[in-house]
Amino acid sequence: MSTERVCPSCAAVVPDGVRFCESCGAPTGAPPTDPLPPTAPLDVTPMEDAPISAPTRRPADALPDPAEPAGRRPCAECGGEVGPDYYCTTCGTKAPSERDHFEETPASWVAGVCDRGIVHERNEDAMAVLAADRPGSRAVLLVLDGVSSSVDSDVASLAGAHAAREVLRRPLPAGMGTPESRDAAVARTFADATAAANAAIVATTDPDSPNPASATFVCAVVEGRQVHVANVGDSRAYWLPDDGGGVQLSVDDSLAPAQIAAGVPREQAESSHDAHAITKWLGRDSGDITPRVGRIEVTGPGWVLVCSDGLWNYASTPAELAVQVRAAATTEPLALASALVGFATASGGHDNITAAVARLAVPEADEGVQHHG
Amino acid sequence: MAEFSAAVYQNEFLPDGGTDVNAIVTIGCTGAGTAGQGSGGDAGEIIIVDTSGSMAPETMQAAIDGAKAALDEIVDGTYFAVIAGADHAMLAYPAVSSGPGMVRMDGRTRHEAMSAVERFIGSGGTAISTWLDLAGQLFASIKDVTQRHVLLLTDGENRERPGKLDEAIRRATGYFQADCRGVGTDWQVAEVRRISEALLGSVDIIPGPSEMRAQFQQIMRTSMARGVSDGKLRIWTPQGAQILFVRQVSPTVEDLTDRRTPVNPLTGDYPTGAWSDESRDYHVAVRVAAKAIGQEQLAARVQLVVGDQVVTQGLVKATWSSDESLTTKIDQQVAHYTGQTELARAIQEGLAAKAGGDEATATVKLGRAVRLAAETGNDEATTKLRKVVDVEDADEGTVKLKRSIDKADEMALDTASTKTTRIRRDPTA
Repeated sequence: MSTERVCPSCAAVVPDGVRFCESCGAPTGAPPTDPLPPTAPLDVTPMEDAPISAPTRRPADALPDPAEPAGRRPCAECGGEVGPDYYCTTCGTKAPSERDHFEETPASWVAGVCDRGIVHERNEDAMAVLAADRPGSRAVLLVLDGVSSSVDSDVASLAGAHAAREVLRRPLPAGMGTPESRDAAVARTFADATAAANAAIVATTDPDSPNPASATFVCAVVEGRQVHVANVGDSRAYWLPDDGGGVQLSVDDSLAPAQIAAGVPREQAESSHDAHAITKWLGRDSGDITPRVGRIEVTGPGWVLVCSDGLWNYASTPAELAVQVRAAATTEPLALASALVGFATASGGHDNITAAVARLAVPEADEGVQHHG
Repeated sequence: MAEFSAAVYQNEFLPDGGTDVNAIVTIGCTGAGTAGQGSGGDAGEIIIVDTSGSMAPETMQAAIDGAKAALDEIVDGTYFAVIAGADHAMLAYPAVSSGPGMVRMDGRTRHEAMSAVERFIGSGGTAISTWLDLAGQLFASIKDVTQRHVLLLTDGENRERPGKLDEAIRRATGYFQADCRGVGTDWQVAEVRRISEALLGSVDIIPGPSEMRAQFQQIMRTSMARGVSDGKLRIWTPQGAQILFVRQVSPTVEDLTDRRTPVNPLTGDYPTGAWSDESRDYHVAVRVAAKAIGQEQLAARVQLVVGDQVVTQGLVKATWSSDESLTTKIDQQVAHYTGQTELARAIQEGLAAKAGGDEATATVKLGRAVRLAAETGNDEATTKLRKVVDVEDADEGTVKLKRSIDKADEMALDTASTKTTRIRRDPTA
């Protein structure tokens, strides 16, 4: 937060490191908020000169950022050229800003789509997706859902996603003596990730704002057969195997699960007017930001799905989501993520919609952690 | 250096299936400077005084005084000329028969021009087409003059074969601007308005000789303050869209719809003439193809172009929404100027019906005008209407035509019909 820069599109002041203008949503041209370039840590690893033990995390394991999209897409309506003010120069259709709709495809087996939806004026969902090239090896799927009632949730949620991405760029801790101790170390890493996201959200909030930015957080980390999840709030992670029997991996921090636990039918609990009242979130006015964590070992082909409530509002159960996955009939992750967003849009698009997916085709041996020994 | 600004007032929300987008675009100009003093070329002023035989000696003397007052307002260095108009147009000053027909204003030329004006005597008829054509030739004789303005005074009806004046107006359109004044009550408002509308100027009545001097002074002062020559309103609309109309709605109502010059298939220019430090409002109505709920699109990009430079622009948008609380609102500015435009039409149609002897239509139209003037807070129109009709109920618009009307009051109502009022703007809007 040092020098002042202005948005190249609308000339509003943008804080350092912010990639999308808070005012108009245009990309600011700032480098990604990436304090650690993917290959740089090698030079600064304090363990580098240690004579006895090798570094337990090899920087080469750090996942690279997905490629930046090349140029502005042509008009979705007529194929015309989109002008600098985001309106098509032929048919006048407003092209979504990069903040209103963006896609990431870090590897052939992982992709995500983050979209404004229909009703909301801004896209306050945020997404960050990382993956290693080799299918089924290692991926990070992050979704944050900015809370609409605050002023700059769209900026804050994206900053939070990028901050958490840095923490999770390299493999989760391994080489612990017992599964329990490893779980504890993984939980600590996830807590570091939510803490980093929280710090970024707080940092992008106007200190005087009476209505500070806040966001949910959900993350799935695929490491071979192991899928680790962590969440704060009601954004979700699912495992949807091809042969059915999907499960919700995250547990909402909201009133609905409490009601479900108390015996209220799921449909009724989730449609009650306060079902979306979340009990935990990230942001300046949050209390406990320790995420709930979970893990599953997958045994067959299927999809890991991480999404915001803009999607699951229209298909809450794993079975309902599986119907949409089957309807999409694809093994291309970007096609599936787009289809799921399209499904939510067609269902009304009442909220921002984010869907990030990883295709686990033939789960391999748990080699993703072997070299940490 | 002149600076322009644009503001758009509209309700961009359309209901499902909605197609028509209305917006008021306000364009403001500051720092315009003085005519002919900028980098855009020289300014030229031509004063045309009716010297036909109908000009009574008292009126002629007032016209001479008025012309002299106008000459006093012309800034030194400005090219100028004076025309005496009757059956033919005569170049009264400068006294040349060939070559450049205008001279630069200075102490000597001002004195000579005033002497020439003082020799005016009324004789002959009224052939306005010849006046306009001579003015065009004089402007054309000085190639440095790029900002051309005429002050035209007449006292009578044009006496030429039908169509002749219209041809002359057509030749002058887009070449020079003209502010027109009629003195007395023997001239035709509709006829002179055709000239002033086409030539982007004003029309008004000078009811008596005593007001001549002040009117001439004010017209010339305003003209000399127009430091920005030839602005064009440039409007882009999306492919498949239809421009329903483009109107200037403040300070006066001027329909520009048919005056489009295409720039490219999606863009056209509309003339606005020269600019002083002022603010004008334009009402732009565009019909676009309906889009799905939640979609947003640009319905028009409205720019002001001076020379080849876009100096300001405003965006007119359309967003389709299912929220009725958004889509049913009519923008206050749009509603106000829609009312003011209707008011102008009601007055003109009412007076035309009255002139044609159709008192029933006149009563209905002028009654509607009274109601619209009250609703839109146009006090000037209300005052002028009350000189022509007896108002029984302003809210209902029930009126009776007055039995004896001062012809000048009726003409003043007619010339003022296009003048609009503004409404206060909510600074947060």
